[in-house]
Amino acid sequence: MANINLKKREIECKIVYYGPGRCGKTTNLDYIFRHFQKQVTGEMVTTETDGDRTLFFDFLPMGLGKIRGYDVRLQLYTVPGQVKYSATRKMVLREVDGLVFVADSLAVRRQKNVLSLKDLHGNLKEYGLSIFKVPLVMQYNKRDLVEQGIPIMSLTTMERDLNRQLKAPSFPASALRGDGVGDTLKTCIKLTLKSLRKQMGW
Amino acid sequence: MDLKKKIKSLLQHAELYKSQGLLNEALEKYVHAGRIIKKHAAVIGNKKLLPAVAKRIKILKAEINRIEASPDMSVVPENVQDIIKNKFAFTDREETRDLEGAVALAKFGQYDRALREFRVLMDREDLKVNAAKNIIRCHVTLNAMSDAVGQYREWFDQSALRPEELNKLRVFLQSILDKKGIKETLPGKEPEPIVREAIVEDPGIMDGEIILPELVQGEILGDADAEEEIIDISSVEITLEEGPGKWRTVEYDVSFQSGRVINLLISSSDKALIEILRTGLELKKVHFYSPIAMFNGEGVVFSKSRIESGPKQGDYSLDIQIKHIR
Repeated sequence: MANINLKKREIECKIVYYGPGRCGKTTNLDYIFRHFQKQVTGEMVTTETDGDRTLFFDFLPMGLGKIRGYDVRLQLYTVPGQVKYSATRKMVLREVDGLVFVADSLAVRRQKNVLSLKDLHGNLKEYGLSIFKVPLVMQYNKRDLVEQGIPIMSLTTMERDLNRQLKAPSFPASALRGDGVGDTLKTCIKLTLKSLRKQMGW
Repeated sequence: MDLKKKIKSLLQHAELYKSQGLLNEALEKYVHAGRIIKKHAAVIGNKKLLPAVAKRIKILKAEINRIEASPDMSVVPENVQDIIKNKFAFTDREETRDLEGAVALAKFGQYDRALREFRVLMDREDLKVNAAKNIIRCHVTLNAMSDAVGQYREWFDQSALRPEELNKLRVFLQSILDKKGIKETLPGKEPEPIVREAIVEDPGIMDGEIILPELVQGEILGDADAEEEIIDISSVEITLEEGPGKWRTVEYDVSFQSGRVINLLISSSDKALIEILRTGLELKKVHFYSPIAMFNGEGVVFSKSRIESGPKQGDYSLDIQIKHIR
């Protein structure tokens, strides 16, 4: 549940970018940081290790302005995608309000996507949350790589693999170019605020 | 597909995967290409190709090994530590927020900063003992027992702590030393508590989730400061009720405690136990050892995760939520 400070009339929402290693979570945040300057309220913080892999999380604070007299703040996080960073992923996921699942379109990463989604499902469950109820947006990233001749999955295949049951809004994207990044984030914010309104009884 | 075209395609894909940071996938393609070249060497007729691919495979393997073997960055910059401290303290209680933040730092392996924060919190009357115990826990987690003892002796020599506070810390640390078989007797008076019965207070909310009522040793005779006497669990003995070692008991020291949740570190070598203690498993028979008494009770495996960095890398961190103590 979002952090609501009634006295200061502030609402803090947490949106987490989840997905397998090297799928482009950090690239998403990096693009948002560079192109949504108006909404970004602070520096993007990254914890990259050798080989550009996220160790703990990336963090990007944003502001959405006032909604019903409340100053709504967003905190975007990424989780480390490598399988071995399971504990950190779980810690970052705690008290999440909205989720973006970044799937890798490369055909060779098909199984990794499925495993990561399963991992997300399990971690949410441990916090008493249902993947079917948390505001969730699917992003099928790296669509641009088809131009380089790398085999990528069709959107139909990805939908069938990952979104058949969830039926979450989904977007093809190229985080490197920025295609689909804004649409993904905007939709996730919309769903998160809708869920928040429900919780607040607005 | 033409043999040469196939090899070319495999090598191209390998390069592209490598550029994407997908090193294992790139390696797979190179190995595949290498096999084909070797098998059809006479047809291909290019003697330089196989050594060139072999060289790439060697470089790639070295790179993968280097990344996997390199220790994870265990200490992150201060701005990241600030985020951990401020954003990972999940409590609605303002008075314990700083303590939770320091515990979060320790959980992320930022022990030096956590120790600094705990030391600052020792100036706060309401958190003093709790902060001091966490300082000891940090040293214990780092296997720096001499530092834990040294810290206690420093507190003993100074007058910053009241005798009863010092005594709590002495009993707490002494029990850890005894359990670890370290022959060290800490200076201080012997406690003379008589535990009548552990009583249970109203449930509270902490960490954004409903936690079980805090057990209070309010009935410890001779203790005037009863309200902060939350039971500190120093170790647990769990009876396993399933798996190959059914009815076997295992004993573990508590590395951290945050309210109802105790944290245990389990060696990566104890694979069977790690497998049995899955998240959500109800532990019906648990002995909770506090420095001054033992209680029977129940718990539930709250979370289990592999430690990714620091001296305990590869071991497992297990959070057990205390459900009931009697």
